[in-house]
Amino acid sequence: MSAIVIGVAATVFIMAFIAGQMQSFIANTIKNEISHIQIHHPEYKVEYDVSLTMSDIEEKLSDISKLENIQAVTSKTIANGIISSAKASRGIMIAGIDPEEEKKLTQMNQNVIEGEYLSAEKRNPILIGKRLADKLKVGVRKKLVLRFQDKDGEIIDAAFRIVGIFQTSRNNFDEGTVFVRQPDLNKLLNIEDAAHKVAILLQDEKGIAQNKEKLQRLSPGLLVETYEEISPEVRLFKSQIDISAKFIMTIIMLALFFGIINTMLMAVLERYRELGMLMSVGMNKVRVFSMIVLETFLIGLISAPLGMLVGYIAIQLTAKNGIDLSAYSEGMSEFGMSSIVYPALSSNAYMQVAVAVLITTILASVYPAYKAIKLKPVEAIRKI
Amino acid sequence: MSVIRAQQIKKTYNPKTIPVHALRGVDLNIEKGEFTAIVGPSGSGKTTLLNIIGGLDRPSDGSIEVGGRDISALSDNQLIDFRKKYIGFVFQAYNLIPVFTAKENIEFVMLLQKKSKAERDARVSELLSAVGMTDKIDKRPSELSGGQQQRVAVARALASKPTFILADEPTANLDSKSTSDLLDIMAKLNQDENVTFVFSTHDQRVIDRARRVITLDDGVIISDNIIN
Repeated sequence: MSAIVIGVAATVFIMAFIAGQMQSFIANTIKNEISHIQIHHPEYKVEYDVSLTMSDIEEKLSDISKLENIQAVTSKTIANGIISSAKASRGIMIAGIDPEEEKKLTQMNQNVIEGEYLSAEKRNPILIGKRLADKLKVGVRKKLVLRFQDKDGEIIDAAFRIVGIFQTSRNNFDEGTVFVRQPDLNKLLNIEDAAHKVAILLQDEKGIAQNKEKLQRLSPGLLVETYEEISPEVRLFKSQIDISAKFIMTIIMLALFFGIINTMLMAVLERYRELGMLMSVGMNKVRVFSMIVLETFLIGLISAPLGMLVGYIAIQLTAKNGIDLSAYSEGMSEFGMSSIVYPALSSNAYMQVAVAVLITTILASVYPAYKAIKLKPVEAIRKI
Repeated sequence: MSVIRAQQIKKTYNPKTIPVHALRGVDLNIEKGEFTAIVGPSGSGKTTLLNIIGGLDRPSDGSIEVGGRDISALSDNQLIDFRKKYIGFVFQAYNLIPVFTAKENIEFVMLLQKKSKAERDARVSELLSAVGMTDKIDKRPSELSGGQQQRVAVARALASKPTFILADEPTANLDSKSTSDLLDIMAKLNQDENVTFVFSTHDQRVIDRARRVITLDDGVIISDNIIN
């Protein structure tokens, strides 16, 4: 019985660990990068041409913010270009943001580890990632030059001064994205009251489909997409949670299956004489078979909730402070995962484990029960 | 009236490899109310004969009728049903269920026969009283001596009101006092309730109390004595 309890507890905890890891990736991606819903010019994502903007952006943002279930909305101007320091150059994406609105949307200000967040006072301030700063060998207050094309295809060079350095859990993002104020970038791109992206954070993710519909009605001719549509890896990770959980559950159930067969076979062998006596005095094969199956099922019925309880306690104990995997954080950051994992499991998953254990115990009881009815009472009763 | 009628019973183990002839043609009639001991040296075939009479094993040849019914032709399930209705077993090693109390060990045979609770309770009291174990009704086998366990086993064998009781070396693990007590109980049940007992035994104390002694040697009956 203890084998089943440990097996179930391990299944529940591993599933919670994987789910926690995947959910942290999805939450990070939504929070720091793509939000719940984005709106673009329909062709922008095909060519990433800076001239493919959405106009009357202030009015649009105001209309969107009046909709239900909207927590924050902001626009971004985006340009791809080259960033250069005195020592190195890199290809990057330049995001022109409204610093105050961005705070509400991505909480980017909280990721600043050196210097300060973008402010209105300074001229041409820029926020860059820690990894990029390392590659460019620059620090706060150093000057950088951005080179990109404006709306008309002219090459623009502009000097920016680093006001802050940020760090998220996603290395690629930190290395390939810089933030400047939207008016500064718009001026350089020669666009006015326009943006390439509108990002919307919802209060409750469950209403995402209805919000998308309303936003589409509000933005005819524009491309409205949810985060799953924008980021295929999020969709992949979401499906991965299910697949991984089922895969692990199958492996552990297989181990449990053979463990139960072994245990019940031992139980049958230990009770060989008793079973022989029962058959001698008139217990028929159907009853003997049912008895072994029922015994195994009852063991499962007691062990499964106990195992789930142990797993649940382990999850609760670790979910509060998370499991610190900072020793492996380098590798995990490459995939946009946080170094602290908060195990979490849905009630649905608990039900799946319970049903799987009960089915496994019933299936695993068949062979020992078959062995029991195959014994010959005349041999069994004389067994020592 | 014959309760058991065996004709030319033969039993050969491993017929295709190294044949062992346990019984070589046994003819036997046992009447209602007998108190019979089957004796003989080890390997003489007495346990094999008892198993065949009890429907636990099948003869290689010959026929066996119990209560006028040829049991050698019954299927496995029919044999189980037959044992449940007609035969009570007492085993050398008692074979009580360790997690059951004395009452439950006796009762479960009647549960297999789907007897009502009232019927079961009455029968358990009656049997425990008959074997002198009324005060041990709630004791588990581990709390009983060997003699007491065997008395519960006798009560269990009688629970289904069988046609006869087969006891394979019932006193082999008992001391003199327990053997004497057990034999007293079985003899009383035989006399008062006309229960038929057939023992296989080596034990002279059992042989001394038997009213018929059948001696087997090398798979054949070499003597059959009625003792007055």
